[in-house]
Amino acid sequence: MGKIVSIHSFRGGTGKSNTTANLASQVALSGKRVGIVDTDIQSPGIHVLFGLDEKKMGKTLNDFLHGKCEIKDVALSIGEFAADSEGRAKLVGTNLWLIPSSIRGREISDVLRNGYDVNRLNEGLQTLLKVLDLDYLFIDTHPGLNEETLLSIAISDVLILILRPDQQDFQGTAVTVDIARSLDVPNLILVVNKALTRYDFDDIRRQVHEKFNAPVAGVMPLNEDLADMGSIDIFSLRYPDHPWSKALRGVAEAILAVK
Amino acid sequence: MPDEMILSLKKASLFRDLPETLLAALAEKVTTERLEPGQALFRKGDAGDALYVIDSGRVKIVSENAKGGQLVLNECGPGDAFGDMSLIDLEPRSASVIAITAAELLQLKRDDFLEVLEAEPSLALDIMRRFSARLRYNTTYIEKAIAWSQRIAEGDYSFADQIKAESEDAVSNEDKASQLLSAFFQLVQGVKGREDDLKQQLQKLTLEIDEVRRKQEFEELTSTDFYANLKAQAAKLRQQRLDNQ
Repeated sequence: MGKIVSIHSFRGGTGKSNTTANLASQVALSGKRVGIVDTDIQSPGIHVLFGLDEKKMGKTLNDFLHGKCEIKDVALSIGEFAADSEGRAKLVGTNLWLIPSSIRGREISDVLRNGYDVNRLNEGLQTLLKVLDLDYLFIDTHPGLNEETLLSIAISDVLILILRPDQQDFQGTAVTVDIARSLDVPNLILVVNKALTRYDFDDIRRQVHEKFNAPVAGVMPLNEDLADMGSIDIFSLRYPDHPWSKALRGVAEAILAVK
Repeated sequence: MPDEMILSLKKASLFRDLPETLLAALAEKVTTERLEPGQALFRKGDAGDALYVIDSGRVKIVSENAKGGQLVLNECGPGDAFGDMSLIDLEPRSASVIAITAAELLQLKRDDFLEVLEAEPSLALDIMRRFSARLRYNTTYIEKAIAWSQRIAEGDYSFADQIKAESEDAVSNEDKASQLLSAFFQLVQGVKGREDDLKQQLQKLTLEIDEVRRKQEFEELTSTDFYANLKAQAAKLRQQRLDNQ
């Protein structure tokens, strides 16, 4: 039965979209059927990593939320058009779908003004799991704790919280952990990203584990090469031997290990 | 002159503690060799057949390769001795000796040395004692080096200061064991320095959570009707999904 994996961070800038795209790609590469939903309707971004622009995009999650189409009409098969970059070429033949959010300014401001029905989002996610026969549905959420993110936390089987090793992320993650426990999320996994290499990674892992009393699936280094690449490809597929990619695969394995 | 010769011969560690009578017998055999700057005393691979003590001037001991490249192993000046082993063994020269300045060297040929040795059987015993002592001395340091290597492997550098003190005592050019010690000291300092740098770079983070704020924010977030409704539905939502499959 399919699992909903929500990827969340309390603040922006943690590398959440990049991590989500890479994790979903790695899990798809392992032979699983994987969907990615970009519920960050206010500031969508994950589509860029899969080489999508407005022209290629077609229907979006916004269309579904406004009752203009079925959710299955939004799902784009990445494996079918992925070969346009070195890293993504490895996704050809995998079962990986992306459900993008609209990047049209008017549609974004419409959501910001009027909000949307979180129950309809929930129904859409459940339908996706079923019609695409997914093993994993990754949800890339908007940072912070609003109604949509609370919903995605509430319905997730696995919640991945990404934090940077700094004071503000620690504080915000503490609250998010409390919320996840209050909502009985069955599997909580912490991932530290953007750790400066001069720090003792084992020590960071130990501290985070102790502070939140939750497993830490990976401490990933600050990745200048990723920033240098820009958002043109899936980093861990393009540079599989990079330390960041290795740490990321550790997180993917932790997801696959959840019963 | 023979007295000066005796003093010069004593510079060779092989002869350092020999009785005066034996040194006098050897001194009679000593001849003088003069070198112009740049002139070679002998070259690597030549038959080794004499001991030398530098009387004046400076020479360099160099290792030469087939293409004529030179690596200077050491520089020696007045009082320094080399080639004592060649009096005993029949090995060819392991390095070349070339004069840096005009130099005068005292030379003791192996044949002359052996002649004295035949006439004075006690000399043979003395020489054997010296070689034995040198061997024992070197073995001691090899054992120390083994023990230190193990401690370095375990990250224990506490003996480094002790090595430094000992290695400063031993200054003789001929004393290979002390050279090993000083090289060892540099090795330990280098490794320890780099390791300390790394330790310093590997900073520790101290991150704290403000528990009062944590509780406040949690209460704010969970006090809404939306949250109460969501919490009530969370379990139902998951169950609903299981039922759908």
